[in-house]
Amino acid sequence: MKTGQDLLTPTWLVFILSLCIYRSHQLVKPQVCKQCSGTVPKGSEVGKFCSSSSGRVVGRCCLANETSNHERIIGLDLSNCSLTHVDNLQEASDALIIDLSSNAIINMSDSAFQGFSQLRQLFLPADIACPGGNSSWDKVKTNEGIRLCEGQRNMCNQSGKMPVHCPEYSHCAAYGPGFFQCSCADDYHGYKCLREGEFPALWVFGLLGASTLVLSLLLWLTQRRKAKSL
Amino acid sequence: MPPSCCGYLSQYTHHHLVAFLLTFFSYVFLHASRKTFSNVKVSISAQWTPSPRNGSAPALLPSETWEKNRLFADEQQATLFLGALDSIFLFSYAVGLYLSGVIGDRVNLRYVLCFGLCGSAAVNFVFGTLTEWLHIYNVYLYCSLWVLNGLLQSTVWPCVVAVMANWFGKTGRGFLFGLWSACASVGNIFGAFLASSVLKYGYEYAFLVTSVVQFAGGIVLFFGLLTSPHEVGLSSDCPTGLSPVDTETHRPLMSDEEAEEDAYEPHYRSVRRQDEPGQESPKAVGFFQAFWLPGVLPYSLAYACLKLVNYSFFFWLPFYLSNNYGWKEVEADRLAMWYDVGGIIGGTVQGLVTDIMGKRSPVLALSLTLAMASLVGYSHSPDDKTANAVLLAITGFLIGGPSNMISSAISADLGRQDAIRGSREALATVTGIVDGTGSIGAAGGQYLVSLIESKLGWIAVFYFFVVMTGGSILFISPLIATEVRAMWRERQMRHHQL
Repeated sequence: MKTGQDLLTPTWLVFILSLCIYRSHQLVKPQVCKQCSGTVPKGSEVGKFCSSSSGRVVGRCCLANETSNHERIIGLDLSNCSLTHVDNLQEASDALIIDLSSNAIINMSDSAFQGFSQLRQLFLPADIACPGGNSSWDKVKTNEGIRLCEGQRNMCNQSGKMPVHCPEYSHCAAYGPGFFQCSCADDYHGYKCLREGEFPALWVFGLLGASTLVLSLLLWLTQRRKAKSL
Repeated sequence: MPPSCCGYLSQYTHHHLVAFLLTFFSYVFLHASRKTFSNVKVSISAQWTPSPRNGSAPALLPSETWEKNRLFADEQQATLFLGALDSIFLFSYAVGLYLSGVIGDRVNLRYVLCFGLCGSAAVNFVFGTLTEWLHIYNVYLYCSLWVLNGLLQSTVWPCVVAVMANWFGKTGRGFLFGLWSACASVGNIFGAFLASSVLKYGYEYAFLVTSVVQFAGGIVLFFGLLTSPHEVGLSSDCPTGLSPVDTETHRPLMSDEEAEEDAYEPHYRSVRRQDEPGQESPKAVGFFQAFWLPGVLPYSLAYACLKLVNYSFFFWLPFYLSNNYGWKEVEADRLAMWYDVGGIIGGTVQGLVTDIMGKRSPVLALSLTLAMASLVGYSHSPDDKTANAVLLAITGFLIGGPSNMISSAISADLGRQDAIRGSREALATVTGIVDGTGSIGAAGGQYLVSLIESKLGWIAVFYFFVVMTGGSILFISPLIATEVRAMWRERQMRHHQL
């Protein structure tokens, strides 16, 4: 009996531990991966991409380890998912490949892919135009009811188009198809990138406090100490 | 002969020097934080507005960096609001000057000064730093804080002038006060320097640094200031006023009147302490009584005209220079400093001349008459920076000089004149009345200048300045007449004696 209990304890521990890990995985599983049932099909474009880049399929997503305890969505397959509106995919903004084909999409908001700067391949139903227009992509193909938007162009260094102007102290960075963002230049931060560097608070207030103390003491000794109360 | 300028220096102790420096620097710090506000206006209006969009260009992203703050739709509206804040400040400053002079004569000057400096430093901190750290942008909050700031700042000027007048008697007052009243201009330069050196960390740090420096100044003042020579058993110089024969009868340092005052001063203080706070002390001069003292009303009105011109230069000159000549803002700011430099020299030199002459108003009249000519000359200044700077310094000498003199030396004369002999507690009240009336003129002037400029152009603004300067001569003309007549009589008498 005694030995059996000793053997059982680690087994239980492992089980509880694995349950915890499983539960925590369940908790961090992004909503967008559960948008519809099923998982990423093995043979689909997203599935092939996922296995070639050693990702892990969770629901409709392909997750990759960025750091040891942080995962990001590198692929999203919402094909044949009865989607009608596309607007809340922001959880997958790091994705490299997204498949939205075989959906009767009525409405895709203009800012749906804002911030999707890594996106390289986007599959859409043929009647939906590529986000940001054809000029935002290297290649746009339509084949068997599927539109493929491939090779996102960087808005910041497009030749032939009006150059993008970012305000002073900021520079242009890609921010998804048809979008660019102005991020603060090195050492600049805050609203409108107006602030530069860190205020040397310790130095300034240390100096000021010390000189106030010294001056107050000095003046009190030479001046006010001699004051008679009137 | 009147006393020479060098003889009196030996009578001063280190207490005199410390009092001079403490009052000087407390006003320097105060004016520095006032200047900070006008120097960070561009940064503040950038902080309050979303980024401007040109035409069809898309909105800048990410929006929390470029579009988040929408207190005002564009920078033009923000500039209008900042101009309104200037007017609010000047009006509450003017009202505060009337009040705080009265308070300063009844409560210990050191407490009032310390309260004013530290209080306005705290308000500045809340206005510029705390609201930014907490991201509270509210028009009503800003307005009410600026009203409070005007009231608190107004306590300082009457009190520092009163302290200075306590320490330095009429002999040599013109020169010393002229030198001392450079504090506003020095404050402008110091404030511009402080603001420009920390502005890169954010405008809130410009407010933080100037308000902390001002707070520290208040603390040092609390521990170091002796409000009057009586506190250390010294006597002040003869506290006489504008009597026509005053300078001829070169008074001894310790007059009978002074000794008498020393005798009753402790008694008077103890009586006052027992009084109800609201009850008026029998010794301090009442507000309306002070208004009708000889010379107070004419000088107040003259100063209203003069401060209007002076502050218009303070607020509008850089704008005029960059607007009219197309010079860069930094260059315009640097050029505008020559007006301050002229004012510093003008106040000191003219103060010295009035000391030697023994009369103030003839010098004022001469300087102001020349100022009218120099204003016309400046309005036709050639498009050349050196010529402009020279003309600006001359105009500053002729306008800033008399302006500094009225607000300091002459206010002190008026608060110490024979009509209130025996009561020393009119100094702050009178200074408050003169500067308060001046500030009302200045506040109204800011509006008038922008109105005249938009309707009739800059030339009309300069003719408006000429008219105002003429007005200030007109207001003090009765005083000029009596003083010149007295001078004439003296000269005749001396002639007869010889």
